[in-house]
Amino acid sequence: MDGKIIVVTSGKGGVGKTTVTASVGAALAKQGKRVAVLDMDIGLRNLDVVMGLENRIVFNVVDVIQGRCKLRQAALKDRRIDNLYLIPASQSDEKSVIKPQNMTWLCNKLRREYDFALLDCPAGIEQGFKNAIEAADEAIVVCTPEVSSVRDADRVIGLLYARSITPRLIVNRIVPQLVEKGDMLSHADVVDVLSIDLLGLVEMDDAVVVSSNTGNPLVQQKESRAGMAFNRIAMRLDGHPDLPVEDPMAGRSFWQKVGKKLGRKNRTAKR
Amino acid sequence: MTFHSLIKKLLNKPDSSRNVAKKRLQFALVYDKLEVRDDMLEDLQQDLVEVITRYFEIDRDALSLDIQRMEGSSALILNTPILAAKHRKEGGARAHA
Repeated sequence: MDGKIIVVTSGKGGVGKTTVTASVGAALAKQGKRVAVLDMDIGLRNLDVVMGLENRIVFNVVDVIQGRCKLRQAALKDRRIDNLYLIPASQSDEKSVIKPQNMTWLCNKLRREYDFALLDCPAGIEQGFKNAIEAADEAIVVCTPEVSSVRDADRVIGLLYARSITPRLIVNRIVPQLVEKGDMLSHADVVDVLSIDLLGLVEMDDAVVVSSNTGNPLVQQKESRAGMAFNRIAMRLDGHPDLPVEDPMAGRSFWQKVGKKLGRKNRTAKR
Repeated sequence: MTFHSLIKKLLNKPDSSRNVAKKRLQFALVYDKLEVRDDMLEDLQQDLVEVITRYFEIDRDALSLDIQRMEGSSALILNTPILAAKHRKEGGARAHA
């Protein structure tokens, strides 16, 4: 196999990197791809609890790198979604135990074993970030429509370009009511400021909280708008690059509501 | 632009927090990109002195190099007293360049 390594990063913490990694990974696996999701936040692992696999961890990514186990031994198979594997972070080590050259070796192994490997990058731009982007083929930058998050995203985008990686953006936790009231940056504002390609838009959704409470995959909940947005993002990553990005604001303005009544279709977001 | 925001504009209401956020962000990003490390400025000063001294005798201690930030733009300002111009010998200064 000749898989793709995609790093999920943001600079700022708490914007939804782990949710994006878990959900996009699960969605890609549902589409029939062999997928590994890796927690690169050494010392502060979280992807395992979000995915509901915390009780089954035996080996972790540091064990693989230090040769204490094989890659396949560390990869936990998800029992609900076929072809989805989690390689957890170590909770007792520090980020410095992994060196960039280890990542090159690990990513080459992952490419042979999986169609997609998603790396959940730690917050910040220090060693952990540098390790995660070292051997990545593509990058997803996650941000929320907040000033602090967008500014950090801009910094990270600059660092990715410096490594010749052209990142794509997911704007997470959009609250259409607030955008409409003029109290939240719209996705168009964010794209305008960052001038980067858009991969997807995800609305604020209670189902995300419920999903991480229970450890059940978000993308299997048909009524979740966020879950469906992640499914579409996965399609864009795999085989349908031109699938239009749905505008969460579509159908909200007065004239669009009138238009809808008259049978006009919702417009899709600017890309 | 929605109907709503058009009316807001006509009534001359203060900017929405969304627009304030966007403007602040755009400024912050420009400022962030203009931030220069101290050692970079020192390196630049050394390089500049090297070039200038090929043509002029200058008072190195009186030389100042600064970045001045104004609204919307930034300028690099070099100020140095010249003691004397160097008279070029045949092929002198050019050969260095």
